[in-house]
Amino acid sequence: MRTLGILFYTAVLVLIGAALIVLSFCFSLSSLLPQCLFYINNALAYIQDNAHVRVILALSGSLLILVSISLAQLIMGRFQREKTIAFKTASGEVTIALSAVEDLIKRITALMPEVKELRPDVKANKRGITVELRVVLKSEANIPGLTERLEEMTKGKMQEVLGLEEKIFVNTHIVKIVSQDEKDKKQQQPAIPFSGYGRV
Amino acid sequence: MQHKDESLTDLGAIKIHKNAIASIAAIAAVEVEGVKRVGGNLQSSLLSAVGKKSYSAIRVEINKNSETEIEIPLIIKYGYNIPEIANKVQENVRQSVEKMTSLIVRDINIKVKAIEKE
Repeated sequence: MRTLGILFYTAVLVLIGAALIVLSFCFSLSSLLPQCLFYINNALAYIQDNAHVRVILALSGSLLILVSISLAQLIMGRFQREKTIAFKTASGEVTIALSAVEDLIKRITALMPEVKELRPDVKANKRGITVELRVVLKSEANIPGLTERLEEMTKGKMQEVLGLEEKIFVNTHIVKIVSQDEKDKKQQQPAIPFSGYGRV
Repeated sequence: MQHKDESLTDLGAIKIHKNAIASIAAIAAVEVEGVKRVGGNLQSSLLSAVGKKSYSAIRVEINKNSETEIEIPLIIKYGYNIPEIANKVQENVRQSVEKMTSLIVRDINIKVKAIEKE
């Protein structure tokens, strides 16, 4: 359904694009302009005169709107359904949004001073739960030690807080290492000369 | 929320609106330690912004046999065990709804939408 939706929207956008290219081509060549205007005029006059064509046009428009709305709903619904972890209890079902799990990971790692920034991405599939961590580190950090600690903390806390029995895979990707100098430079505000003058 | 549960007595009919059941569920859910608030989706945030109560996020379904199914979106406080909190919420909501309405609660589905700090 997702592929069908993508194909549908691609086809609509390609048609619009082609129509715009043809129009711009017609208007750019002065010899073609009268002919183009003649054809457009003829087509509009035909639509105006023929009631059946008008009805068909209106119905096609409505159908197009309905199809695009239902496709969008289906795609969105599918995405929403996929982004949760669910388990059954005696009283019903418990669903945990993956964004909630991502919140949790962010909070765990906020305690680590070596980590400057962390962007987790949690995916659930039949194999288990995969956590992709994109980390910005400070330069004084020992990378192997820190990543090991980060992975252990993430795994441990997820199992403790979520009570999950599925396998958890944690992949860490260090995107940037920020040096202490760079950090200090950013923190130091440049002094504005004569900024104190003129104030009472 | 159009459907109301109705029971007949000698003096007349007693109708319990779905909103009343949702309110009971919301209060019972927030009573559990570790639950920050009910809601968490865009719709409930918009409704709360225009003055609607948090129970508007709770979905209540009552079937022909007067069996009730309740769906509660929750925001949990950071540091609490989610399955434990979810179980406590389910138990508390079941007890409260059954005690106050005499309805049979079939399922209480919990949706954890986010985790927030206290």
